[in-house]
Amino acid sequence: MERQEIIDGIVEILKTVRTINPDKLVGITEETDFIKDLETPSTEMINIAAKAEQKFGVEFEDDDIDGLGSKVKDIVDLIIRVKERG
Amino acid sequence: MTAAGRKVAVVGMGGAFPGCNGPADFSNKLFSNKSLIREWDKAIAFGKNIRSSVSGYITEAEMGLDVIYSPLAEDYPETYIDTLGRIPDTNLATADIGSIWAMLGALDSIKMAGWTAGETQSENTGVIVGSGGAGHAILRPAWHNFFELGKKTRMAGSHTVDRAMVYRDAANVSCLIKNKGVCESIGSACATGLGNIGYAYRLIKFGLQDRVIAGGVEGTSLETFIGFDAMQVLSRGFSPEESSRPFDVSRNGFVCSFGGGMVALEEYDLAKARGAKVLAVIDEYFNNSDGDGDMFYPSFAGQQRLWKGLLGDKGLKPDVVKMHGTSTPAGDAVEFLSVVDALGEDGYHMSAPKSQFGHMLGGAGAVEFITALLMLEKQMVLPCLNSVQLNPELESFQKTDKWHGPVKPLDAYRHLVPQKAFAKEINRVACLNYGFGGTNSAMMISRDL
Repeated sequence: MERQEIIDGIVEILKTVRTINPDKLVGITEETDFIKDLETPSTEMINIAAKAEQKFGVEFEDDDIDGLGSKVKDIVDLIIRVKERG
Repeated sequence: MTAAGRKVAVVGMGGAFPGCNGPADFSNKLFSNKSLIREWDKAIAFGKNIRSSVSGYITEAEMGLDVIYSPLAEDYPETYIDTLGRIPDTNLATADIGSIWAMLGALDSIKMAGWTAGETQSENTGVIVGSGGAGHAILRPAWHNFFELGKKTRMAGSHTVDRAMVYRDAANVSCLIKNKGVCESIGSACATGLGNIGYAYRLIKFGLQDRVIAGGVEGTSLETFIGFDAMQVLSRGFSPEESSRPFDVSRNGFVCSFGGGMVALEEYDLAKARGAKVLAVIDEYFNNSDGDGDMFYPSFAGQQRLWKGLLGDKGLKPDVVKMHGTSTPAGDAVEFLSVVDALGEDGYHMSAPKSQFGHMLGGAGAVEFITALLMLEKQMVLPCLNSVQLNPELESFQKTDKWHGPVKPLDAYRHLVPQKAFAKEINRVACLNYGFGGTNSAMMISRDL
């Protein structure tokens, strides 16, 4: 799965999170920070992670989530890493 | 205990009312003697597993709300949408349905009160709101997904706690209006609504706050309903509009309903100084416990002490008593006779709003407090709908040696119990509510003349 394909999927997830301003979803890059740039409430991060598990058919370990950074590239890396882990 | 010279005014109100398009519609329907009780499709769907099927319920659509269900957890409301744009999505994310009603009622109350942003967000503004049940409608699917379906806790997201915690209604209102004073909930079962307003009154009266948004809510929840249904205490065998019949001899239980009432309270001199319209002045609030060790059965002695505390030595007598009047066999008779015992056989009327919309549990005392405000405003007494025949015989407890109350049957006081709304001069209304555990609450309010 290409990284851009994952980013597009994450944007689709973010569109369902009503506490994120949809105007901020235009032009998202791997460097976009969920907290700093998108002003995502920290309590929504677990919802995003759980929806990513469903969308990309992966299951994160608790350590994966505990160590997850707040940038888009962090979750892209995690999804690729977990897929490789099998 | 009170700070000298401080009085408390009611300057705003709002809420959620079954089948009504806002407070004005609620008022029009009540004074037109209408019932807001309906057959509830969600109860009927469970067939013989549920005993009662009537309720004064409120749907999401009736409040201008949509629900978004989680794609991860079965039947779990991920969040709500306010189709009328009154509440920001950030606040909706942390709210169950009752908390949303509380927030809407708070906004209406503040608007009616005319508080500025500075006044609302002051350190001297508090929020005191409670509900009878927990966030059952949120907890049930969250728990089901974990315990029965074996899903990870995170599949229900991170808002189960804030949408189910005991003081969720107060917390959500406070986060919305950004007050900097007290934020708490009082819980006293079916006296919760009046208990929260009473506590708010004391905060102002004692000089701890200048303004308080106060009230009680009970969000529509079949989970709540079935608990009472199991107790066999809900009305059965009547058409919906005839199901709630306080004081009628054929009553056989209450109608489990849902709703919310919110009011804005303000120190009287501050309200008058800024030209606010005063809906009522709170004369007194008193609450106590039966002290007889009985969780459910009402206590005549407890209610006698309640009236003594409410009336004190001020010589205040209400023109109307807004009764708790649930339509249960024991509760109504004891309450009725305690009122006669305290106020005598004439000179006032009894009003039982539950006859029109059922028993809103934690919301009851607050919504019924609003009906008392409406009676003062309209100068009309709301009825005891369906109180067709009062008992011509003595109640069984009146025939015992232990009884020291009125010795006539309820029907001897027919003249106190109107079956239709009617006009009369009303300067003072007493509000009564009681709850499981033997808790009793009473408030006296007056017209600002």
